[in-house]
Amino acid sequence: MAAFAFASAISLLAAAPGATGGVVSLNLCTDELVLLVARPDQVRGVSYLSHLPEELALWRQARRYPANDGSMLAAAARRPALVVTMGSAGRDQARLAAAVGARLLVLPYPASLADIAASVRRVGRATGNVGRAEAIVASMRSAVRNAPGGAVDAMWLDGAGRTLSPSSLGAAWLRLAGLAQRSVAGDQVTLEAMLTRPPTVVVQSRYRAGQMSSATGWLRHPAARRVARARTLPTDGRRWTCAGPTLLPEILRLRRALAR
Amino acid sequence: MTRGAALAAVGALALLFALSLLLPAGDLLALARTDAPLAATILFELRLPRAALALIYGATLGASGAAVQALFANPLASPDITGTSSGAALGAVVAAYLLGATGPFGFTVGGTVGAGAALALLLALAGPRAEAATLLLAGVAISALAGAATALALALAPSPFAFYDAFQWLMGSFVDRSLPQLAVAACGAGVALALLATQVARLDRLALGEEVAQSIGDDPARTRAVVIAATALGVGACVAVCGAVGFVGLVAPVIARAWTGQHPGRAVWPAAALGAALMLGADLLVRLAPLGRALPVGVVTALIGAPLFVRLVVKSRGRVAL
Amino acid sequence: MRKPGLQARGVALGRRLAATDLDLAAGSLTVLVGPNGAGKTSLLHALARIGGPAGEVRVEGRSIDDISPAARPKSLGYVPAARELAWPLSVRDFVRLTATKGDAAEVLSGLKLDRLADRRVDTLSTGERTRVLLARALLPAPAVLLLDEPFANLDPLWQLRLVERLQDEAKGGMTVLVSVHDFDLAVRLARRMLVMDEGRLVADGRPDALFANGTIENVFGVARADRGGWTEAR
Repeated sequence: MAAFAFASAISLLAAAPGATGGVVSLNLCTDELVLLVARPDQVRGVSYLSHLPEELALWRQARRYPANDGSMLAAAARRPALVVTMGSAGRDQARLAAAVGARLLVLPYPASLADIAASVRRVGRATGNVGRAEAIVASMRSAVRNAPGGAVDAMWLDGAGRTLSPSSLGAAWLRLAGLAQRSVAGDQVTLEAMLTRPPTVVVQSRYRAGQMSSATGWLRHPAARRVARARTLPTDGRRWTCAGPTLLPEILRLRRALAR
Repeated sequence: MTRGAALAAVGALALLFALSLLLPAGDLLALARTDAPLAATILFELRLPRAALALIYGATLGASGAAVQALFANPLASPDITGTSSGAALGAVVAAYLLGATGPFGFTVGGTVGAGAALALLLALAGPRAEAATLLLAGVAISALAGAATALALALAPSPFAFYDAFQWLMGSFVDRSLPQLAVAACGAGVALALLATQVARLDRLALGEEVAQSIGDDPARTRAVVIAATALGVGACVAVCGAVGFVGLVAPVIARAWTGQHPGRAVWPAAALGAALMLGADLLVRLAPLGRALPVGVVTALIGAPLFVRLVVKSRGRVAL
Repeated sequence: MRKPGLQARGVALGRRLAATDLDLAAGSLTVLVGPNGAGKTSLLHALARIGGPAGEVRVEGRSIDDISPAARPKSLGYVPAARELAWPLSVRDFVRLTATKGDAAEVLSGLKLDRLADRRVDTLSTGERTRVLLARALLPAPAVLLLDEPFANLDPLWQLRLVERLQDEAKGGMTVLVSVHDFDLAVRLARRMLVMDEGRLVADGRPDALFANGTIENVFGVARADRGGWTEAR
């Protein structure tokens, strides 16, 4: 067992940092990163969620590649040189990756814009696309530099009154558009609170807006329609799920909408 | 129950209802001065459905809990312990996420079917005159089955984020419900309460034992069917609109029977009033407690109900009252 | 022709009771005997309309099935063999379940239940429950009273008292039918005995006559012993 581990370690060290073999992504958010940073001929697989138009803004691009169920076993079947996932990977996953000679890249859940930039760079390095990664980081930096000075009182809303915490990653993105997310107890706002003290701007996520759920029911509440005192800016909810680099064009669009 | 006591109960209920409409008062009063139509909107479209749903849901749980306990001659029988609420939740989840039933009506039909199936299964598993242990076990089995099936349905649902959605809703809440939703729940609950009203005398006579009740001309099997249909309809509609709130259907009838000399049928209406009061009170507590977080109303009812449930189990041992 | 108390035509209960006709005069006391499984309980069920029986039963000329649950206790009272009382009502409340008018206190004291009036019925002994079930049936002053083995759990004193009570009620005009297991009791109780065997009424007559002509011996397989008591019939 120890010999096997040692051999695996050696093989990992021997693999070039910029592996040019295939890359498989196991997670919706890493799908985004891989699709943005890696070259088309490098991608060997993405998670099944990214094939769904309701889940990923880049779904058309994602559909060019086979879908996996997010498990290491499915990834291993593609014999990639690199497997990317987010959060944590168990020991068994690491062992399995090593067994097929793949490098396992586990990105942490991002808590800040800096974390996103770091993850983009890591994927760039691992896939040998440092240039593309740096270009993305540069445009993020530019957005930060050009952020409007003022901070307009705003609330980001999903269905059912779910909003963001001011210290969250989503709120950090909103600041780039000149919006200050209001602090709400439990990150959950009631219609009454919305009506009594409406925010200046409501950023309304349209995630799965056409599908029946208790959340969309909330949005169709007669009282919700009267939240007209606030300016409501719709937004593509899919990009907020991961709050990754695909949010950048959305933020710039919000910025322009606010300026009008 | 004397007439005076009944009047006092109705008065207390009306007071709780009024408080539920008016509290918290500060923001609403301030708004009334600056933008009266908006204040009216808040009052009628947001607070009224909330208070009315709490009242209706509580009354339905209380009344059907009393009826089901009379049927099974057991104080532990209640919509949640017997898995009825779980079945209703499963039915609503399947209707909404798998069958794509849009609108509160679809949810409600799903909830009713689910609740009815759970009750029918309980009857089949435990039998009409089951002992406490058998009843509890059957209820646990049904709840577990419904819970597993709900998890399966959610896993098969189009989006994994449906989990979060459903979890929120399954915890039970009256917040931000609309008047159409209130109408749907009120219809289901109204029919249920009307049906149960016709069975009060028969439920009392169930205490005679099956043979004697039949010699009077009662048909216990028919009574069972009506009570089950009413419970399925009422609980199904309420769970579909507000999610599953536990323990009210267990607690209210037990206390109500203490007021009616343990008459099971005569306790149906007092249990309804008490259930409504409990629900309104729990909702008020959830709203006014300065916790900085939104508590699901089911948490409060569980905190009140769980200790009582434990006490019931300890004291029950095959007997029917505390 | 004495006034008809109970008239049964073609009452049957599946395989347990073959179609049976029966006439009980008003103010009569009749005893019902038979081996285990002979169908005594089934006959009483059929007469009380329990279990969906076939046939028709008339009390004081009216068909029972036409009488509503609210009024039926005044026509027919039933005391079951099972003493299961699951619901913890007080004795007083239980007795008043089917008759809100009527003198509950009198009925209770007549059966010496007044001291137990506030006790919950599920805490009583089997014998006490028998008396409670009887009180419940008697309170509306029914025209017909059917009892299924009421003597089974009573001590000798209460057996005697019950015999007297039933005889008194019959003298007062009530039609009484009692199923009994003990022959001595049966003989003491009534002048008319019905014998059942395998789901049928096989004999109907005076008890001593039925002993004398060998019916009891044939049906039960026992005979009177010379020194009193019973022996196995040869």
